[in-house]
Amino acid sequence: MTAFTRDPLQLTRRHFLWTLGGAAALAGVRDIPAVLAASQYPFEEVLPSASRITWTHTAGKSAQKYLPETTGAGCAFLDYDNDGWMDIYLVNSGKCDFYDPKPPLRNALYRNNRDGTFTDVTEKAGVGAGGYGQGVAVGDYDGDGFPDIYVTQYGRSILYHNNGDGTFTDVTEKAGVAAPGWSSSAVWFDYDNDGRLDLFVCRFVEFSKAENLPCKARNEPGYCVPRLYKPTPSWLFHNNGDGTFTDVSKSSGIEKYLGKAWGVVATDLNNDGKMDLFVANDTTENFLFMNRGNGKFDEIAALAGVGYGETGRPRSGMGVDSADFNQDGWMDLFVANIDHERYSLYQNNHDETFDDQAGPTGVGAATRLMSGWGLKFFDYDNDGNLDLFLANGNPDDLIETMQKDVTYREPLLLFHSDGKTLHNVSAESGPIFSRNFSARGLAVGDFDNDGAADVIVSVNDAAPLLLRNTAAKGNHWLGINLQGKKSNRDAIGARITFQAGDLKRSRMKVGGGSYLSSHDPRMVLGIGKRTKVDWLEVKWPQPGGTTEKFTELPIDRYITIVEGEGIKKIPS
Amino acid sequence: MMLFAVAAAAQVNTPTHSKTSTAVSTSAAEHAATLAETGHCSEALPLLTKSAAHVTDKELQKRVGLDGVRCANLLQEQGPLLDLLRVLNQHFPHDPEVLYVTVHAYSDLSTNAARELAQTAPTSVPALEMDAETNELQGKWDEAEKDYRKILAENPKYPGIHFRLARLLLSRPNPGPDFQDEAKKELQKELEIDPGNAGAEYVLGELARQSQDFPDAVRHFSKATQLNPKFADAYLGLGMSLLTEKNYAGAVAPLETAVKLEPRNPAAHYGLATAYSRTGRKEDAQREFALQQQAAERMGGPNAQNPQGPQNPQ
Repeated sequence: MTAFTRDPLQLTRRHFLWTLGGAAALAGVRDIPAVLAASQYPFEEVLPSASRITWTHTAGKSAQKYLPETTGAGCAFLDYDNDGWMDIYLVNSGKCDFYDPKPPLRNALYRNNRDGTFTDVTEKAGVGAGGYGQGVAVGDYDGDGFPDIYVTQYGRSILYHNNGDGTFTDVTEKAGVAAPGWSSSAVWFDYDNDGRLDLFVCRFVEFSKAENLPCKARNEPGYCVPRLYKPTPSWLFHNNGDGTFTDVSKSSGIEKYLGKAWGVVATDLNNDGKMDLFVANDTTENFLFMNRGNGKFDEIAALAGVGYGETGRPRSGMGVDSADFNQDGWMDLFVANIDHERYSLYQNNHDETFDDQAGPTGVGAATRLMSGWGLKFFDYDNDGNLDLFLANGNPDDLIETMQKDVTYREPLLLFHSDGKTLHNVSAESGPIFSRNFSARGLAVGDFDNDGAADVIVSVNDAAPLLLRNTAAKGNHWLGINLQGKKSNRDAIGARITFQAGDLKRSRMKVGGGSYLSSHDPRMVLGIGKRTKVDWLEVKWPQPGGTTEKFTELPIDRYITIVEGEGIKKIPS
Repeated sequence: MMLFAVAAAAQVNTPTHSKTSTAVSTSAAEHAATLAETGHCSEALPLLTKSAAHVTDKELQKRVGLDGVRCANLLQEQGPLLDLLRVLNQHFPHDPEVLYVTVHAYSDLSTNAARELAQTAPTSVPALEMDAETNELQGKWDEAEKDYRKILAENPKYPGIHFRLARLLLSRPNPGPDFQDEAKKELQKELEIDPGNAGAEYVLGELARQSQDFPDAVRHFSKATQLNPKFADAYLGLGMSLLTEKNYAGAVAPLETAVKLEPRNPAAHYGLATAYSRTGRKEDAQREFALQQQAAERMGGPNAQNPQGPQNPQ
């Protein structure tokens, strides 16, 4: 007999509710549709021996358990040399006030050799960085046709201007975008519709070696929960059009909101032609910055229903994305949280409010014990519907000593869309989805130009994971590379609508999304077994703002559409 | 018991309080306390019980009360023990020392009663219930289930047992594939025996909510609130289910009740704020969001119960 006679109902309620969640997870498994051919899995790993990507992330894990050690890092698909083939950028840890690796560590730029292999061109390109890196955001901020690279770091971030000859120049000081502090994700987007890409940089917490808190778990040094660190405002930089930026964090209203920001996506949530920002915060309320024009944002996350979990308490938001997952013409939101919080799929109610559809879609049950970082909606099988890929891993390397049902390394998750809702197909998607990783960043890009979007996942303190998409074979597609002229060069905020027989779909080109990562800028429009795209409409963002309609479109290849100039084929 | 022995021994060499009150009751109380603190509990307890409620000096009153509780516990004098606890908690309602002693006193009472139950009526239904509860608390799920099924085998209509069995099925780790269906059946059997079991209705509501069957959830939560008008969680479940059904106007009343019954629950404020917001009551919504944030802070700040990992600085 125990000495304390407590009410078992009270004592076990939490456990009971968790168990209910588990039951729902099991129920979800039974409902999975047979969407995958038994003989083929949708993604296969491309080993370093095949890709020649031999670079490895080093977290520099120490006995002091400095928090940045467990949070990085990001990755990107970009075509830095404009040859029509996606190259890869990978972010590493490096020298900072608590870490001085010998020999020094660096980031890596891998050029695509167009044969499935990559060559490390970091030294020649001059983009090794060397600080304690976190994320990467790619955007052509000066509109010269070559993508530039912004590397977020703990300490000071870096803007690399692409010189167009295979090299880059660090222009951070001149540009005024060093963003001192602990920066995480960043996003290029044109908030004032002047045709130039501005820059939003997430900041995490007030942190330095001196401010590192010593935490313990079961008498072992452990990483502290971010709750213990002070929140801080993020940065918004306005592009002046002359290679410099102005810090408008204060005048825009961004600065007065203190958060612990990890992920950010720029999207238009009320279809007013102005790009809004959804920011995932860790242990503080998420932010939904609605762009009201004139350089001002209103923060409405709580009113909109995306600030908190159902318990009325902030969750640990990390990765984010935005897509019109239910094809109603309004952009929805996704945020990944930590274990026992479930991730949220926020469906847009068309009135600046959202309802969490994690329950009905099975996302909630599948993610009950997971901690999510990189993620992206994309149509991996080119059937015309937006699917969802998630990279997971608990940030705490001692979690298994405290939680029986949670693991430090976690599996990837794949959800397939039937056009109405999502289905968890991870269990049927091959061995890659049964292995566990400390996954962090995730970028989507078609590195072999076969129209099937591939995935790269950055893994904390390990080699990245490159996944070739084999799921789209047999389905047709059209790849679109948008080039703005009056609008921003990357056409962030453009909306493509297309019709292929009975299939009508709409896609917005959002800015950012995922976690610390940057995606292939091209959009792949899957049309399933249909053999023709009847028409395609591009609504360019302001200040262009025109809508152009195209017919007589090719399929199964990439094309470039230049604002006001029509279709240009990409060199094969 | 050991606690008192240590405390009493420690007090032996402690100088007695140098109060110079001239009141007779005060000196009697001090004498009683001194007796207790020097190990003469049998002699001290009647004096302490008599003095505790009447001493005007607060410090002495607390000393007398605490000494009395320790003596009553030592002597296993249940009547004086309960009287002294009542006096202490009435006069020192938030005092940590008083609360600590109270916890231990009730715990010892509980242990003694449980022991007596086990010794005097080991095969009775209450004894089996007690055993099952203890097994549940200790995570011995199979043993607890056996206890409940044994009760039902002999007393199929015994109220409360189907409910407890359902709760066990839902709480145990690594449940079988059909455990929710099994639990539902047990809850329905419970309601056949005891249609007034609000808890059973509530759990059925939660199960329906988890299964995305919101009309069914609304039905069960509504029934639970009718059966127990003070059932805050049932009002919350009802309100949240109505919110999910986009019946925002309908969600306001149950969520207002939930907030009234449990003003410290951030989830209730959050639900109500959302209901207000979606019905155009923006100012009310802002007020509730502010209350929600205060409530969340009171619970230890964001993520205080998140089992993410290390949470406490050294």
